[in-house]
Amino acid sequence: MLNNIRWLVPAKQGGDSSEDREIVVSSRVRLARNLSDFPFEIKLKVKDSERLLQLSRSVIERDCPGQYIDMKELTSLERESLLECHLISPAFLKMNKPTGLYLNEHGNISIMINEEDHLRIQGLTGGLNLTDISAQVFECEEEIGRDLEYAFDEAYGFLTSCPTNLGTGLRASVLLHLPGLVFTNEVEKVLRGALQIGMAVRGLYGEGSEIKGSLFQISNQHTLGLKEEELIQTIIKLTHMIVDVEMKARDAIFTKAKHEFEDKIFRSLAVLRSARVMSTDETLNLLSALRFGIGTGTIKDVSLDVVNEIMLVARPANIQLYFSQILEEHERDIRRAEYIRKKLGGNEK
Amino acid sequence: MLCDDCKKKPATIFFKEVLPGKVTELHLCEACAQKRGLMMDKKLSPFELLQKLLQKRSAKDEQVICQVCYLSLAEFKRQGRFGCSHCIEHFRPYIENLIKQIHQSSKHVGRRPKQGARKSFKVFKLREELRRALEKEAYEDAAQIRDRLKDFGVDDAE
Repeated sequence: MLNNIRWLVPAKQGGDSSEDREIVVSSRVRLARNLSDFPFEIKLKVKDSERLLQLSRSVIERDCPGQYIDMKELTSLERESLLECHLISPAFLKMNKPTGLYLNEHGNISIMINEEDHLRIQGLTGGLNLTDISAQVFECEEEIGRDLEYAFDEAYGFLTSCPTNLGTGLRASVLLHLPGLVFTNEVEKVLRGALQIGMAVRGLYGEGSEIKGSLFQISNQHTLGLKEEELIQTIIKLTHMIVDVEMKARDAIFTKAKHEFEDKIFRSLAVLRSARVMSTDETLNLLSALRFGIGTGTIKDVSLDVVNEIMLVARPANIQLYFSQILEEHERDIRRAEYIRKKLGGNEK
Repeated sequence: MLCDDCKKKPATIFFKEVLPGKVTELHLCEACAQKRGLMMDKKLSPFELLQKLLQKRSAKDEQVICQVCYLSLAEFKRQGRFGCSHCIEHFRPYIENLIKQIHQSSKHVGRRPKQGARKSFKVFKLREELRRALEKEAYEDAAQIRDRLKDFGVDDAE
């Protein structure tokens, strides 16, 4: 039934260091680009935005084959689902202009047309995989750039609507799972270090979102004055450092209270396999414990791919698309529990 | 290691001052480092910094206008967004400092657009011109544009 969420692509293995896939949940790179011959978003008339959409679409369709999604033809549930899958931004849903989304054949590159910038080219993949995914994003950006002229300035690089994106227009981020540091109360200290070297730290759903399920997003804040490769390397290095301290925190926890932690992990799995009503937040927290259990080798009969899939499909809009039904919150919690039991070979009797 | 000042909490901040002939080392806990004024303030993010800097307004802002999209510097400061790719040229002297503060740099050193054939964009623009010429019933112009389109291998008879 995953086909019901036609843009859902489970995260793939491999990358810069795939053994950290439990801690580094996903990697993302996005480029902001504007076309020099069109006014930017605040000055773009509806008629021009339609022309821009049509032009970009014809170019992207040839350079970067995949599926085109006309946003106005989607139901609000489908739009919400794209957001839950991290394929579009919250701002994209609020645009009062014609907007379109492009997804490449593999589903790992998406292009928002008529967001705050004319084009937002994004690559998303599982694990620590920034080098590989950024190469794909740049290839796509270059192909499009052969046909469309990007707004560019010698001093300020690629020109963007907002001055904070000038230069490379690049935002690279990783989503990290840090239960060890959360438990030892060290997470704040580590993340403050990230802030000091110019990184931004946020919750699962970007700016202003709450920290849930021990998940943290780290991204670069500055886009001017550094090469794209340098920005990406800084995040990769920082990620390795954080993974390192997370591992140390886990060792400390296990030395002190091995049985208590194994107990917490197995109880979490038992609840996921048996519960009849399950909220999104509870799911995230239990999945965090399960993920932790897989990472520490405590749980051997559940794969990380299954956990990643549940993490996405259990979201409020996705679970409705999965069952092809509009569901009220309570109904949703029941069906979510049902879905999770099925995925984890749970107890149906 | 315990904090040099309070001798109670563990020291997490290491401070080293190097002066000619004298090196001072301090190991402090966060609270004591704060008391000595050695902790950095919470850093503003580029976006927060931008919001703050845009508050600095001047009466002249209304008169500085982008000659392509007609966005005024005043409007730029209200919205925090550029109106087109030419705003930078017209606002440059007024926003150099702002950009430098946000990014701690004022020079792009990254990738550049690859100079491609840009064929489809030219074709797109010519088609737009053709459409406008036909609307105005300027058939001679339209014929010329069609010839230029043919140079691109496009036979546009619409």
